[in-house]
Amino acid sequence: MNTNLAHVDSVAQPLLELHDIRKRFGGTVALAGVTLSVAPGEVHGLIGENGAGKSTLIKVLCGIVKPDSGAITLAGEAYAPHTPRDAKARGLQVVHQEFNLLPFLSVAENIFIEHLPRNALGVVKRRDMNTRARTALDAIGLKDIDVRWPVERLGIAHRQLVEVARALMTESRVLILDEPTATLTSRETERLFAIIDDLRRRGVSIIFVSHHLDEVFKLCDRVTVLRNGETVTSRRIGETTQDELVRAMVGQQLQKEMTHSIGSSARSETVLSLVNFRHAQSPHEDGISFDLHKGEILGIAGLVGSGRTELLRAIFAAEPPLSGTLMRDGKPAALRSPRDAIRAGIGFVTEDRKEEGLILSMPIAANVTMASLADVSRAGLLDQRAENALTEKLGADLKLKYGGPGKNAATLSGGNQQKVVLAKWLARKPEILLLDEPTRGVDVGAKAEIYALIRRLAERGLALLVVSSELPELMTLCDRIMVMSQHRIVGSLPRAEFSEEKILTYAYQGEKRQTGH
Amino acid sequence: MQLDENLPTATATAAPAVSMKLLLRDAGIGIALVLLILFFALTTDHFLSPNNISNILTQITINLILAIGMTFVILIGGIDLSVGSMLAFCAVVGGSVLTIPDLSVFQAVSLATLAAVGTGALCGFLNGWISAFWGLPSFIVTLGMLNIARGAALQVTDARTIYSFPPSFNAFGSQMIYGVPVVFLIALALVAIAWFVLSKTVFGRLLYGIGNNEEAVRLAGHSLMTYKIAAFTIAGVLVGIAAMVYMARLNIASPIIGIGFELNAIAAVIIGGTSLSGGRGSVIGTLLGACIIGVLANGLILFGLSDFMRQLITGVVIILAVIIDKYRERITAA
Amino acid sequence: MKLFKLASVVALVAATALPTIAAAADKPVVGLVMKSLANDFFKNMLEGAEAHAKKRGDYELKAIGMQNETDFESQLNGVENFITQGVDAIVIAPADSRAMVAPLKKAIDAGITVVNFDVSLDEQAKKDAGLDLAFVGPDNRGGAKLAGESLAKALGEGGKVVIIEGNPGADNAAQRKLGFEDAIAAGKLNLLDSRTAHWETEEANSVFSTMLTAHPDIQGVMAANDSMAIGVIKALDAAGRPDIKVVGFDNVSAVQPLLKEGKLLATVDQFGSQMASDAIDKALAVVGGGPKLEGWVKTDIKLVTTDDVK
Repeated sequence: MNTNLAHVDSVAQPLLELHDIRKRFGGTVALAGVTLSVAPGEVHGLIGENGAGKSTLIKVLCGIVKPDSGAITLAGEAYAPHTPRDAKARGLQVVHQEFNLLPFLSVAENIFIEHLPRNALGVVKRRDMNTRARTALDAIGLKDIDVRWPVERLGIAHRQLVEVARALMTESRVLILDEPTATLTSRETERLFAIIDDLRRRGVSIIFVSHHLDEVFKLCDRVTVLRNGETVTSRRIGETTQDELVRAMVGQQLQKEMTHSIGSSARSETVLSLVNFRHAQSPHEDGISFDLHKGEILGIAGLVGSGRTELLRAIFAAEPPLSGTLMRDGKPAALRSPRDAIRAGIGFVTEDRKEEGLILSMPIAANVTMASLADVSRAGLLDQRAENALTEKLGADLKLKYGGPGKNAATLSGGNQQKVVLAKWLARKPEILLLDEPTRGVDVGAKAEIYALIRRLAERGLALLVVSSELPELMTLCDRIMVMSQHRIVGSLPRAEFSEEKILTYAYQGEKRQTGH
Repeated sequence: MQLDENLPTATATAAPAVSMKLLLRDAGIGIALVLLILFFALTTDHFLSPNNISNILTQITINLILAIGMTFVILIGGIDLSVGSMLAFCAVVGGSVLTIPDLSVFQAVSLATLAAVGTGALCGFLNGWISAFWGLPSFIVTLGMLNIARGAALQVTDARTIYSFPPSFNAFGSQMIYGVPVVFLIALALVAIAWFVLSKTVFGRLLYGIGNNEEAVRLAGHSLMTYKIAAFTIAGVLVGIAAMVYMARLNIASPIIGIGFELNAIAAVIIGGTSLSGGRGSVIGTLLGACIIGVLANGLILFGLSDFMRQLITGVVIILAVIIDKYRERITAA
Repeated sequence: MKLFKLASVVALVAATALPTIAAAADKPVVGLVMKSLANDFFKNMLEGAEAHAKKRGDYELKAIGMQNETDFESQLNGVENFITQGVDAIVIAPADSRAMVAPLKKAIDAGITVVNFDVSLDEQAKKDAGLDLAFVGPDNRGGAKLAGESLAKALGEGGKVVIIEGNPGADNAAQRKLGFEDAIAAGKLNLLDSRTAHWETEEANSVFSTMLTAHPDIQGVMAANDSMAIGVIKALDAAGRPDIKVVGFDNVSAVQPLLKEGKLLATVDQFGSQMASDAIDKALAVVGGGPKLEGWVKTDIKLVTTDDVK
């Protein structure tokens, strides 16, 4: 991949400058040439789709991941931190998306955890600490929180702001905010923006990572778009538009991939229909309603946290649904557990292979037959031969590359592991298959095979519900795509109307409506 | 477009290396046992005498039976601290039945077995049900059962020792077939049954599955509760059998027997290579683990070591076994 | 506290004058602190004390025990509770001969009459704490010597014996071992080995069968309690060695058939059921104004042999 430097306008005197940063994890390319420069006192937006390389880039900057090649300078000097502590010492701090707070310690203790004020005997000066924490919280407008409360008592939004307060305790030159508004309400977002403005005036550079384009336009001076691990463009905010950025995030080339159209095998019979279906995490009383037809491949798009995985898990009754109706072949079905769902002909390829899909330290055959043990046993006794035969048959069907049915699942590559998960469900001959990120961590070759398999299954009459963060994947595979946002379906597109812009517009609009911008 | 940053793809290890490693892994404990036996055979006079061998076999029998049950529990990632107390409870219940006057020996023994095994099964069921239903760690639940069963045993007997069992029952406990104690043969048969259940049945497969990845098993449509309860109940049944063997061997049943037996059973299972975190191990390993503990206890006396040194060395061996287990885990993960 | 004691003395005096009316209201309270009640020996003792309280009827008995032989914390708490309740006398079988010295000192300072029975408190520890307390109890060492001597008589000089000890660290275990050793020295026996089986039947069985392998020429066994003697006898049955003679200690009911069959040569009865009631009698005498107890007030012990069972 070549680094496209054409659109990157450079800054006269950058504080932080990255040049052609590259990083591979095994066979996966995470960063393929990131170039970025941030001026002092600048708020720099960093955007890109899920998996574009934003998280890896942040890890590089704070010293968790060491890049394979490329150069970074901070205030004109070479910058290559080995640990987050290193990075902090050089004046670079990150407020992470996932929280690093200790839930049972007090707010004040969390803020000062790295430098607890103590006296000569090493005893923590609690009063002093609490006073200073109070000042820190007041400074960011968190007047309603007692610094002695354990963090556990705080809501998720307040935790995020405490995290910000902690980062502000140390003087930084560069502050990276990773999706800071994901958990905030509009009032708190305003509060955060005010803090950022204040920092900007004090000459601190801020890298603002966000999914929300409207926030980027409101707050940032410049914006850089990453795609496939490389810098696509870097623009002054006044010189670009939301549409242009979305196009940059998506990429023209990939749009072409889906132009060769495939005939739909969807039929008219409805095999699954949800009516006001609601699970425990869903905030909406009217829940979710849609129909899935025989032979149909129905995609669900949406940002991370929009409730896609939760929906699949609720349909499969991995967590019992709260209310609403699930109709199976037109008849209401009360599914209380995965066992019920499986009996109703539903299979579920989970998002996380290692945690939920496979038993890595057990043989491939044991994994393949895990959901259909009755078929390979008689009176509770396992029939090893039947088990191996089934594994070999499905293995051939799925072009599984493996050492033998007796080898542990851990010996397989990611793509082949995913095929084993698929085989486990196909062994049950389901009528509905739920797929959550079916090609995550799978190489390109295996990806194509899995696509072909999914289409073949649809032709056989299987109904498939596919959740994916890769829009091209959904656009290639699906007959129809629903877009979710904040646990709602905010849009539904038939194949003829597929476009990444439309999907993303729905996804972001939903966000906007929720956050009130 | 999707780049996975957290899942470096697993690559297949070369096949011959794997099988060599597996051999080392599974045979390791057997080799240790052989070395231990060789050591005592060379350093003491009577270690390999037929009498001493049958002594050792008798001495490990009760621990082995308890450890078989413990293997089931540990395989699903649980622990059972209550087996020692349950042994006392089962024994006094069985012993009370055994001493009912006017029963034929056959009636008395079969009813007593039924009572002892039933008591064990009930306690085990409660252990499993309570921990599965409320999602409590089995460590805590069985710690409770440890006290419940002991209290119940004392309550039932008013703290008295039960004796005067039928003479033929008492004689059975020291019966030998070609120098091999019958009670040990019973334990060996139980090992065989447990091995079959764990490696050849759907039930066994799912126990391993639960120990490795509970969520994957649940999402494959299996009821975790059923299997967890079953594992604890099996442990209880084996305690009941061990209680009968105890009475046959020592001809008494007292509510204060079995204190600390759970720790020996756990040690046998862990030394035998079953992972404390569950999902990996075998009952054959448990047999070898129990043998190692028995050989060590016996051999160190013959060796003339003091009681205190004996206890100390047994502790060292347990820690070594766990270190080896850790190392094995790394081999499997590689 | 003093007031309490005074009151009870007054009550006692009153009781002598008006035997029928006075006693009920101001009966002296005796706190009995036992060892593990999960043991026939102490169980019998407690029942003896309860029967005794009912029979005398002129005092109130409050008894506490512990979870097991080594759990002296519950004894400690028990003594402290008795002090708070203001009992008139504490009669205690200490679980640990050193750990219990301090709380008992506290009780005496609070004006409570304390009687130590069953196991004597450590002399040095008593001295260090400035505690002068008599001991009412059996002579464990003397008893073990009796049992050992009967074995010595049966074997004759040069007889080869082993000892199965109680819990290492327990005072009565140590005393009994010393008693056995006294008998061995006096009878010129040959001690081959001495090991603990922690008072337990199963462990005694395993440990002894291994000792027998190491020393097939064993002629006699001295077990520090009857539970262990049972395990030893079972091992002899299994090994087919009826020639080896065994003595035990405690005279529990489970060894009666073994004595009858001659499998157990002898055991020692310390009359446990009476020991607590004896100690209570002595405590009440002091509470009632009697002289202070001094030194070691020995209670009865008796060697029990086959002849006593028949």
